Amino acid sequence: MKHPLGVTINGVPYDRVVESRRTLLDFLRDELGITGPKKGCDAGDCGCCMVLIDGVPMHSCLILAAEMEGRQVTTIEGLARGDQLHPVQEAFIRCGAVQCGFCIPGIIITAKAFLEEHPNPTTDEVIEAISGHLCRCTGYLQIVDAIMAAAEAMRVPPQHA
Amino acid sequence: METKGNGFSAIGKGLPMVDARDKVTGLHDFGMDVALPGMLWGRVLRSPHPHARITHIDTSRAARLPGVVAIVTGDDAPRRKFSVCGQRLEDEHLLAIEKARYVGDEVAAVAAFDEDTAEEACTLIDVEYELLPAVLDPFEAMQPGAPLVHEHLGTNVATHTEFVRGDLGEALRQADAVVKERFSLPYFHQAYLEMNSCAAEWDSEGRLTLYASTQSPALSRGSYARALDIPPERIRVVQCHMGGAFGAKLEYKLHPICALLARKAGRPVKMVNPRHEEFFAGLPRVPMTIDLMFAAKKDGTILGKEIRIVADNGAYINYAHAAMLSALLRHDNLYRYQHTRAVGDLVYTNKVTSGCFRGFGNLQGHWAVESLMDILAEELGMDPAELRKINGVRTGDTTIHGWKILSCGLQECIDQVTKAAGWEQKRYAPKPRGPRKRGVGLACCLHVSGNRSFVPMFDGASAICLINAEGQVRILTGETDMGAGTRTAMSQMAAEALGVPVEWVQISTGDTDVTPHGLGTYADRGTTLGGGGVMMAALDAKRQVLELAAEELEARAEDLVIDDGVISVRGNRDRGIPFRQVTQKAFIRKAGGMIVGTGTYIPNGVSDIDPKTKYGNISCAYPFAAQVAEVEVDEETGEVWLVNHFAAHDLGRTINPLAARGQIIGAVAQGVGHALLEQMVYDDKGMLRNPSFKRYLIPRAWDMPRALTTILVETNDPNGPFGAKGLAEPALIPTPPAIANAIYNAVGVRLTHLPLTPEKVLRALKEKRERTARPEAPR
Ligand code: FES
Ligand code: FES
Repeated sequence: MKHPLGVTINGVPYDRVVESRRTLLDFLRDELGITGPKKGCDAGDCGCCMVLIDGVPMHSCLILAAEMEGRQVTTIEGLARGDQLHPVQEAFIRCGAVQCGFCIPGIIITAKAFLEEHPNPTTDEVIEAISGHLCRCTGYLQIVDAIMAAAEAMRVPPQHA
Repeated sequence: METKGNGFSAIGKGLPMVDARDKVTGLHDFGMDVALPGMLWGRVLRSPHPHARITHIDTSRAARLPGVVAIVTGDDAPRRKFSVCGQRLEDEHLLAIEKARYVGDEVAAVAAFDEDTAEEACTLIDVEYELLPAVLDPFEAMQPGAPLVHEHLGTNVATHTEFVRGDLGEALRQADAVVKERFSLPYFHQAYLEMNSCAAEWDSEGRLTLYASTQSPALSRGSYARALDIPPERIRVVQCHMGGAFGAKLEYKLHPICALLARKAGRPVKMVNPRHEEFFAGLPRVPMTIDLMFAAKKDGTILGKEIRIVADNGAYINYAHAAMLSALLRHDNLYRYQHTRAVGDLVYTNKVTSGCFRGFGNLQGHWAVESLMDILAEELGMDPAELRKINGVRTGDTTIHGWKILSCGLQECIDQVTKAAGWEQKRYAPKPRGPRKRGVGLACCLHVSGNRSFVPMFDGASAICLINAEGQVRILTGETDMGAGTRTAMSQMAAEALGVPVEWVQISTGDTDVTPHGLGTYADRGTTLGGGGVMMAALDAKRQVLELAAEELEARAEDLVIDDGVISVRGNRDRGIPFRQVTQKAFIRKAGGMIVGTGTYIPNGVSDIDPKTKYGNISCAYPFAAQVAEVEVDEETGEVWLVNHFAAHDLGRTINPLAARGQIIGAVAQGVGHALLEQMVYDDKGMLRNPSFKRYLIPRAWDMPRALTTILVETNDPNGPFGAKGLAEPALIPTPPAIANAIYNAVGVRLTHLPLTPEKVLRALKEKRERTARPEAPR
């Protein structure tokens, strides 16, 4: 079965027809070529596929594309404003939180949403927040450092000269 | 983070990875993201039985499914068998012929317009199997009359190896104490997050291009040529960015199967293993059962050591024979033994083929050795750190296997890590009452920086350094970056050698049509050997730049220096000229040609290893490490937490401290997984019971210690580029035994079979209580 689908992805409206059983993840990756969200398991276990749906982080491998009618989807590609990276992205680079990078798009999406809700997190809260994600390379500690650093950067209002 | 005052400009800087920005913005494409115009999707049909004769395959129903373009079975594959690079025991067909030998064995493959159709078509292929008795346990497989995995071999023992140095009998006669114990480890999966994938296309001349995330394009090319029975020069392997590999992605059968499908379909094909197939049919760590004995004097001197290993090869031979060697011999070079004996049997079973995983067999060997060291320390009434220091090798030693230790920071690692951990206090303070007990444990290791006996044809590495008119530097290397930062380290080395900013340097890794033949990233060879090649190429290019600059500056080339992109007579920087002025001149003079530096790094003193005795210096530089784990054990639930960890690593020279710390933390995480969480569980039917991340547990953020102290010990190895040695593998090796030793310190139970689950802890605690309740009972 095919469904017509109108969805906004990273601010761009798309009108498509999708198979009813197509996941949002496959739709993004294979039909739109938006490959920032990664497939690490296709089963909700790893978090590599995390995207924001109307601002809420969700596993795109567990959601059907057809359900996205009228929704706003943000992937990792949609976080930067032009050349200006999101503070979470900046902090991940600076703190050495990135190794192979496969898990990183998902974790950054979660971290961004988490920090918007919790501008003053404790380390334990950050650890809790990202424990739905798997990373096999970094051992997480530099990721936690990066999220704490990003929290700090987001609390300080940008300096205008 | 910076190593201060080392006299370098780029070496020792804690720079973010060169590709970090792409990785945080989603622009970094991995092998799995490759898309070729007009490509089809492929899927593998795998055996559901551990051991079965294939009597008939009918693909007609699958072929009628709309969207299916090509189906391949054993009949479409070459009849010849193949194996991995350097493996003489060729035992594998590209697709099963006659027999399937484990649950997951590749039987057929389908290419279709989309992945779902390919998957559905696989379910429509009718395979008739005649079930055969399976053999799942290597000890049973060694018994006479056991079912044979490969009948024509007449035995399930793939390799039997034995090495004797000195006279173990003599050691036993002189010994005051003899300790022995049996240790084991199950299959551990590398659990890289990017699943194996591949895209294959053929041109009209019959040339194949494979886009694959592989640790070694060059080794892959050779093996796939044998698998496909075509000459290697018809294959181009392009290495894609890897989403983690950890040893698993050296060579993988999915790639040539994809090529076979693409040839039959006449179109490009892409394949991605679903996650459960990664567990069923990956190449997990070689499981081993290890019987180990030490004979020692009262003063702590270990005179002799005997190790006997039975290892599970799984259904086909991969690199398990080499992992076995490493498990049998490598750790002998950590302590000053005089007499050793090592006996190993690598045994076929009807389970998944075992392969390479960070630390190789050395992790397995050290699991036993570093646990038994603590047992011996207790037997002798010595401190475990002291016992290791007394026996540890030192700079200048030639070890029992002929390894030349040119730099050794073992003693310093032990001193620094125990000091940082507060060893004395934590180890010997009385335990508080209550069910939660803390303890600390130490473990050490050594490793290699490249391993001559693994892929024996040569040691060393080559690179090309291109400099264009704009002064931009591009390094071509056949080595690869698993995601651990090899390209970043190489950029820093090239920048240092040339005297230009790191941002001017770009690294292009493995493409077998373009880059020099590099053996690839394994055995911790990337930084030391790969980096050595890069350094030599950069120096060659620099020489050419300086020759041209000499004309410009009317000076002698040997008097010139390049510093931060400015070329000048030494001590006269303000009269210098920009690097780019010279590269422009070269460009014009060479009619558009670039400056081309070539470099080959052949490390000093690495010998051809005697194939029989394995005696000889197998690597140019040996990294050392000592780690202290601090655990908390709940005596009521059996749960163990790593609460604090300290890791001291002799890495020769720190190229990038930020990345070095990242390597250590990531390795410790894998060590926590090995020690406490992970194992592939097979049932008595040969079926893997936990093929998902829900059931195969790798550490999550909450499994990590809140504090992890990393200590980098620089011994400046004479062979390593800028003094650097390997780091990433030894960072994992000591973690599991350090945790086991800490558990013993906390609650007094010795656990010998990984992983150390709550059930095992509780059982051991119960046994201990029963022993102490009946003190007369023998231990
Ligand atoms: S791919 Fe969605 S959670 Fe793993
Ligand atoms: S950086 Fe490789 S999986 Fe997280």
